[in-house]
Amino acid sequence: MTPRGWWLLCSCAVVLIAAGAFTRLYFNPSPGTAATLKVPAGLASPPSPSDLAVDDIAAPKIPERMPDFALKDLSGKSTPVSRWAGKSLMINFWATWCAPCRQEIPLLKTLSGELQAKNVQIIGIAVDYPDKVEDYAGQMKIGYPILVGEQDALDVATALGVASPAFPFTVFTDQHGEVVTLFVGALHRPQVDLILKEVNAVNLGQRALSEAREKIASGLAELSESTAKGS
Amino acid sequence: MIAAEFGESRGDGMLLGTKRRRGGASDGPFGIVAPPMSLLRPATLCAIALLACLPGALNAKPWWMRGVESNENDFLPPDAAFHLGASVEGTQVRVRWVIADGYYLYKQKIGIVAESPDLVLGRPELPRGIIKTDAYMGTQEIYTQQLETRVAYTRIDAGAHPMQIKVTYQGCAEAGLCYPPITRVVFPSLGPPPQAYGGDARPWEITAIVAGALAFLIAGFVLRRDRKLDLPAQ
Repeated sequence: MTPRGWWLLCSCAVVLIAAGAFTRLYFNPSPGTAATLKVPAGLASPPSPSDLAVDDIAAPKIPERMPDFALKDLSGKSTPVSRWAGKSLMINFWATWCAPCRQEIPLLKTLSGELQAKNVQIIGIAVDYPDKVEDYAGQMKIGYPILVGEQDALDVATALGVASPAFPFTVFTDQHGEVVTLFVGALHRPQVDLILKEVNAVNLGQRALSEAREKIASGLAELSESTAKGS
Repeated sequence: MIAAEFGESRGDGMLLGTKRRRGGASDGPFGIVAPPMSLLRPATLCAIALLACLPGALNAKPWWMRGVESNENDFLPPDAAFHLGASVEGTQVRVRWVIADGYYLYKQKIGIVAESPDLVLGRPELPRGIIKTDAYMGTQEIYTQQLETRVAYTRIDAGAHPMQIKVTYQGCAEAGLCYPPITRVVFPSLGPPPQAYGGDARPWEITAIVAGALAFLIAGFVLRRDRKLDLPAQ
């Protein structure tokens, strides 16, 4: 073979290897590069549901009826919610570490006195350690019944359609155990008055449940709008 | 006969439903009676499309989606309220939270510990927070907007395990809602991302491609040597 032939053969071999290298790189990027492309710098947490658009997640559904459950009271005795059957319920989920929950308690104490006559029962469900709850309930002289639980109380929240609970939240039922509304966040007097007025109208047969729910939703929206304007 | 029927206006919006009825005109005061042919006219179709958008425009759910409602959407889900990220920079892990407006984190409830067995983390040095005093929780130090902290780390057996840290934090919304303590296991990303296909990413492939290009040129020169161009005679 002539020197020229050798030159050509070597060049062709090198060009072929280069083509192979290019194909390999193009279709199979280096593992380091792939990992960096998948996870943007600084946002390396494993994806959580909230990384998705809020609209993509089907919100857990709040049941139409109060689910049946039993939790321990402050003396450790298992107490079923059916104990208050026949009354409208206002079930407040709270915890001692939560400032807005603590802020709400004086209002709930006042209400529990007022509502006895109206056949409305306030129940507190503390998702917390029993000893802490007992101390705080004693210190605050909470007069309405308090139930305590950890995972079992969270299971009740899940059954109420609150899958990842934040506190406080309050469930309102009519006297037949139908859930009228679920309020997330600290309650204030105007909101409680609005909701209980509708609950009372349902109990008296003056309002259909669906109608009362709509009235509450629109009333609460108006209240938060007027608060936003006021602030 | 098809009647497009409006529900009565109820506070936050209107209920809209379309019902199929047999015979007879619509009985509601707002009823629109339209024969099927005219229903297909473009103008009518546009009107129906507009009406169908009404519940959405008025922020009301259509009747078939209504059930027990809550005001839960007034608040952000915890990971949107407190967006956590972590990266490795030199000998430190940088942990950062972006906190939504109207939300805050408690300084006292922040914890960063090693999750991988070969990782040793120093104590996180948290910046000074804002003093928040309320009648129910006393005086607390809180963070709003954003929080960044750096923690020194050493690895006993580097590379044997992926680097993982466990971050705990707890916060609330000013509007009156507190999230339970959140724990996240995070894989901190490595500092600045390496340049794609550049430098030392895949050394032999890059070298081969450069050599191939040179070889192509050499082959061209070799073939051209001693060869004259066959230009057409003038």
